Amino acid sequence: MRLRVVSPFAVLAWLFFPAIFTVVGLYVLSGPGTATPQLAYAILGGGLLGYWDIAYLDGGMSIQNERWSGTLEQIFAVPTPLWVIILGKVCGSLLWGLLSFLPTIAIAYLGFHALLPHVDAARFTISFAILSLSFLAVAVMLTPLFTLWRWALPMLNGFEMGFYILCGFMFPVTLLPTWAQGAGALLAPTWAIRAIYASTTNQGPHDFGIWWGATVGLTVIYVIGALFLYRLIERRARISGGLALA
Amino acid sequence: MVAIFARSTYLQYVALFQWATIRGYVGYKVLLPVTQILFFVQLGVFGSGRSKALYFALGNALQVTAQAGIYGVIATVANERQHGTLPMLLASPANRLVTFLSRAAVNVIDGIVTVVVGLSITVVVFGLDLRHANLLLLAFCVVLISMTTAGLGLLFGALGLITRDAITIANVVYYLLLVLCGINFPISRLPLLLQWVAWATPLSHGVELTRGLVLGTLAIPQAALHIAVLLVYVVAGAALTLPLLRRRLVK
Repeated sequence: MRLRVVSPFAVLAWLFFPAIFTVVGLYVLSGPGTATPQLAYAILGGGLLGYWDIAYLDGGMSIQNERWSGTLEQIFAVPTPLWVIILGKVCGSLLWGLLSFLPTIAIAYLGFHALLPHVDAARFTISFAILSLSFLAVAVMLTPLFTLWRWALPMLNGFEMGFYILCGFMFPVTLLPTWAQGAGALLAPTWAIRAIYASTTNQGPHDFGIWWGATVGLTVIYVIGALFLYRLIERRARISGGLALA
Repeated sequence: MVAIFARSTYLQYVALFQWATIRGYVGYKVLLPVTQILFFVQLGVFGSGRSKALYFALGNALQVTAQAGIYGVIATVANERQHGTLPMLLASPANRLVTFLSRAAVNVIDGIVTVVVGLSITVVVFGLDLRHANLLLLAFCVVLISMTTAGLGLLFGALGLITRDAITIANVVYYLLLVLCGINFPISRLPLLLQWVAWATPLSHGVELTRGLVLGTLAIPQAALHIAVLLVYVVAGAALTLPLLRRRLVK
């Protein structure tokens, strides 16, 4: 967290990018006569994107920075297990990512006089907590890829907006083609985001139990996948004697 | 001179660009721009209906040229600093004009290729109808916009010589263009002050010109005006940037 305070890019991630997406979202989705559910996507979408971006890439980037600084082997060799170090980095990222909602809600309220008219506070809070859990699991699972494969950064960085589409951060996934909805269904955040938006409206289905269950179930699968990846890293590092991938 | 420029352009491509590998190219030059266009087109369809998909597709495809022109050009300068090779570059006897323009040239070509790929995929995914569009004029606009955004990139790239946070500058400029240049909503919806800023950017004119020509909503005199403004940007950009670069390099 302290490192992020002095990083201009970290400030961009929580302040600037979410603000830009919120402004674009509000202009596109808040025209005259716009339905309330659409407005919710504009108000919350930018913050959710910022939160996801930081969780999704920040942990991995911190590993990449360790590699570029030549310190990756050292943190691997310390007595503390690698997954504990990565978990700490990811938790720091998630806390930092929560700041993304400050500029987006401020812009929506002060710049566009936009407010969420109906929020089911209890369901919203549970959905948000489950979303955070899924972000944590995704980040913990993806971060080892940065230590295993050099190409993980361009691929994951390149597909950043693909996740925005598949998870329905700023529009419902039901608008997507069936095959894309199928791909999105494999991503835990998709279900939690659906629950979050459903808690801001009285319209549409309200299958919270199913959505929360799907998120938690997929999150557990991700954690099992992460355990496998951490063992793989350790095995490969012991065989090759390095993690620099040079 | 042309041979030196061509050789320098090729070497810049081979040596400098992180996307020079196939996986890097797929990540940064296929996945990123294509998903960006698809995301905003889908957002636009959610907000305004499917009939407006082409409006959003054109705007965001042109915005992608800025990704190459601004990000790409600034990053080449910033990477020299990050990799510790900037002092050697400054101390070398290489012609600096050729060196920096050849970097911009790679990004202009790259921007054009990215727009073609991104727009083609969007047309297929959303079933857009381009039969009545003037594709030759569209191609001309894409080339012109790529050149002007690369000029803007060179201008901000010069700042990369004096600051460590050139990539931060690139991000700020790139994403501000997304809001200011009428990519996803008309410039007339912005506050008046921001409208003036918007019309001072080449991308706004390029987007207005291209959309107008493809959708058939722009009269010839207006189109000529936008083209003239873009050409002025190309000439003025080069005239302003080169002395700035030279001064920074001498310092």
